[in-house]
Amino acid sequence: MKSIVLIASLACGVAFNALAAEGGAAPGKNAEELSKSCAACHGADGNATNAQYPRLAGQYHDYLARSLQEYKTGERQNAIMAGFAKTLSEADIDTLARFYADMPGKLDDLAHHEQGAE
Amino acid sequence: MPRIVLARCAALLLAACFTTTALADDPKGDPQVGHALVYTCGGCHGVAGYHNAYPSYHVPRIGGQNYDYLVNALTEYKKGERAHPTMRAQGESLSDQDIRNIAAYLSSITP
Repeated sequence: MKSIVLIASLACGVAFNALAAEGGAAPGKNAEELSKSCAACHGADGNATNAQYPRLAGQYHDYLARSLQEYKTGERQNAIMAGFAKTLSEADIDTLARFYADMPGKLDDLAHHEQGAE
Repeated sequence: MPRIVLARCAALLLAACFTTTALADDPKGDPQVGHALVYTCGGCHGVAGYHNAYPSYHVPRIGGQNYDYLVNALTEYKKGERAHPTMRAQGESLSDQDIRNIAAYLSSITP
């Protein structure tokens, strides 16, 4: 009996995952999936090596979210980012912003880097 | 769907060409000169967790950010292409050389 319940619940899990992968009624895309497009320029670790693209890893999540919102509305203009941001929902923006903010990064506030501070 | 992907790749390539050529001709800034200029930045970017007043969000971390991106960002503020009022005022007060010097110092910072 126990094994039947186990098999049934496993089957449900598989079915649910399949649904989620289809993108149908699933709540939001996961960060790994969403960040694939970002990685080409911003690096898989969020530390862009091409200096024209900003590092995202360790940036404040609400600044990242704000930037994506501004790209989406056109308030901040960038041909590349506008295309990507338009495809993102508010939930996607929040997911991505937190994903990169939580990454270990090379960014820092200026508190210890101003003249006379060291 | 493939058409959208293709169009995006084309846009990426095009934008990359423009940005790269724009900066390649300029001499890189001097981090030591830039160090003396960033005291103004510290009022907001020097305070860990400092919030922009309205709309409310954290002022970004700019220490350790990439050089070309910083030059572009400050130049966009200077030209009025990015909206933030305080940063526009800062950008307007800076020469192109100031901007390169500041970017050279900021990009040299490690946490």
